[in-house]
Amino acid sequence: MTEIVRGGRPLLVAGLLAGLLVASAALAPLIADARPAREIPVENVENSLADPGADGWGEVPAATVPLASAPSSVPNADDTTVREVEVEAARTDGKLFVRLRWADPSADRSASSPRAFADMAAIQFPVNATTQPAIAMGSERNLVNVWQWSATDTTQELLAGGPGTTTIFEQPAVSTESTRSDVGEGEGWSVVFARDLNASVDNRTALDADADLSVALGIWNGENSERAGQKAVSEWYYFPFGPDDGGAPFQTVLWAIAGAAIALVIVVTALSVRRTNEEGKL
Amino acid sequence: MAHDDVDIAEGVDHQVAMVMDLNKCIGCQTCTVACETLWTEREGTEYMYWNNVETRPGSGYPRDWEEKGGGWESEEHNQRSVGEIPSQQDYGEDWEFDHEGILKEGAEKALEPENVDPEWGPNWDEDQGAGEHPNSYHFYMPRICNHCTHPSCVEACPRKAIYKREEDGVVLVDQERCRGYRYCVEGCPYKKVYYNAVTKRSEKCVFCYPRIEGEGPDDEVHPPACADQCTTQLRLVGYLDDQDGPIYKLVEQYEVALPLHPEYSTSPNVYYIPPTAPPQHSEDGETVDVERIPRSYLEELFGEQVNDALDTIERERAKVERGGHSELMEILQDKNPAQQYRLEVFSDD
Repeated sequence: MTEIVRGGRPLLVAGLLAGLLVASAALAPLIADARPAREIPVENVENSLADPGADGWGEVPAATVPLASAPSSVPNADDTTVREVEVEAARTDGKLFVRLRWADPSADRSASSPRAFADMAAIQFPVNATTQPAIAMGSERNLVNVWQWSATDTTQELLAGGPGTTTIFEQPAVSTESTRSDVGEGEGWSVVFARDLNASVDNRTALDADADLSVALGIWNGENSERAGQKAVSEWYYFPFGPDDGGAPFQTVLWAIAGAAIALVIVVTALSVRRTNEEGKL
Repeated sequence: MAHDDVDIAEGVDHQVAMVMDLNKCIGCQTCTVACETLWTEREGTEYMYWNNVETRPGSGYPRDWEEKGGGWESEEHNQRSVGEIPSQQDYGEDWEFDHEGILKEGAEKALEPENVDPEWGPNWDEDQGAGEHPNSYHFYMPRICNHCTHPSCVEACPRKAIYKREEDGVVLVDQERCRGYRYCVEGCPYKKVYYNAVTKRSEKCVFCYPRIEGEGPDDEVHPPACADQCTTQLRLVGYLDDQDGPIYKLVEQYEVALPLHPEYSTSPNVYYIPPTAPPQHSEDGETVDVERIPRSYLEELFGEQVNDALDTIERERAKVERGGHSELMEILQDKNPAQQYRLEVFSDD
């Protein structure tokens, strides 16, 4: 009995390791295809996707971005309702289109009475794309460029250098179109922001630079009296506008782990085979 | 002469102030109309009354404004009470009348609101007051923004779009900075900041600052329109820290002019001479020695200090009735506009 067990273990170990090797080889390409954390893919397209219902959006990959109440000193800052937003981005030769879709059962299109607040959404970029400003409306030394849509059918382009400093661009470069649509299991907004890639002037984010571009998102639910700093916001994400440099650090780490696992498998297999051979000689 | 002991806001040179003698108000709304035609005859302002006159006891304008919160939790001014935004119904809807058809074209119908079936509006409870016949009572209370020394509306704005200006402490909304968040509307316990749904900005009483600056066509200084046009001339306008002026004497020296709801801790700069009324009657019509307006109600409005104020007024009045002289009674009866509106005493500063 004892000899049978002693003789079977090396074979079992070798078999398991061989299986692990095969599994690693099969999974590695899948890991390589996984999107890096906080990347929002940008699809190159031929035609305009300014219409939120355009067929072309079906071909554009979506990122689900979680939202949380913005850190803010306004009353009820923690009382926000939108938990996530679907983000899709597409680029033609001349324009960038960003579609935001989120669930909101009530359409609040008006601010026409003292207690009425409209639904709103915003996209925030660093003015200087090589920096990542403070997430809450940037700072005095690190400005942000904000595109804001309101369900009152108004679109504003803003510049901010910290909370409470938003200033309107007199001539906004961004335009929006919106519809109500099914989002997840319920009704919600579908809003497309569009801007020329080369519309950059002072204090306006350049979209045609050859570098990844940080982006953050904000949603206000008018029904919940959300406005100003009472809003649901994301962390900084990014559009991968930069050259393909072999992937983000996230990918490099995954590849390193996979490589180490393969090397380990080879070493342990070799050791097991050697020990098996030695036991056979005895 | 400026007085250094007066508590005015930090960074403010002089504090403009107003005293309203409630014993003179007849509820004619001339002040309301003067303000309305000067400042709020624009789109989006139809429901706003920067100046209103409400019957007391009563729900006021906007309805039940005293129950909507705002102001400070204490005299330390370190914790605000957030408050709520009144509903459009609380302010009253904008009623439409067929003036053209009835008055010019002779249409035979009643002049009544055509777009709504009103259930509430400013002054809906006019003259109702409280108490039972023959001892019912009411009085009128004009209200404007109090241009507070510690304005909680200013603190409430996350954009610093509402501010207390340096030269005279007038509280103004910077229409360029305001983004219509309405935290100031929530934050003001007197509900004297309004939201303009057309311009998407907040608006409020400006203390007629172009008039007190002499910026009008005639280049002359004028008191605010609500004071200037008041039928009974119940308002005095000047600076709280003008030691030689009637405002200083009524507020600081005799302590008979009192802020409304001092417990909100915003330190208003509009003050009221509390109302008095004939004593009560017995069932058989005899006068009895019981005050018609309960002190408890006046304490609710003006705090416990109203007792000393009323006692002072009564004492000074009795002095005059005995043939004596009273500076306080002279101030309250003064008809000299130069004393009533002392607005140029610091113009050389």
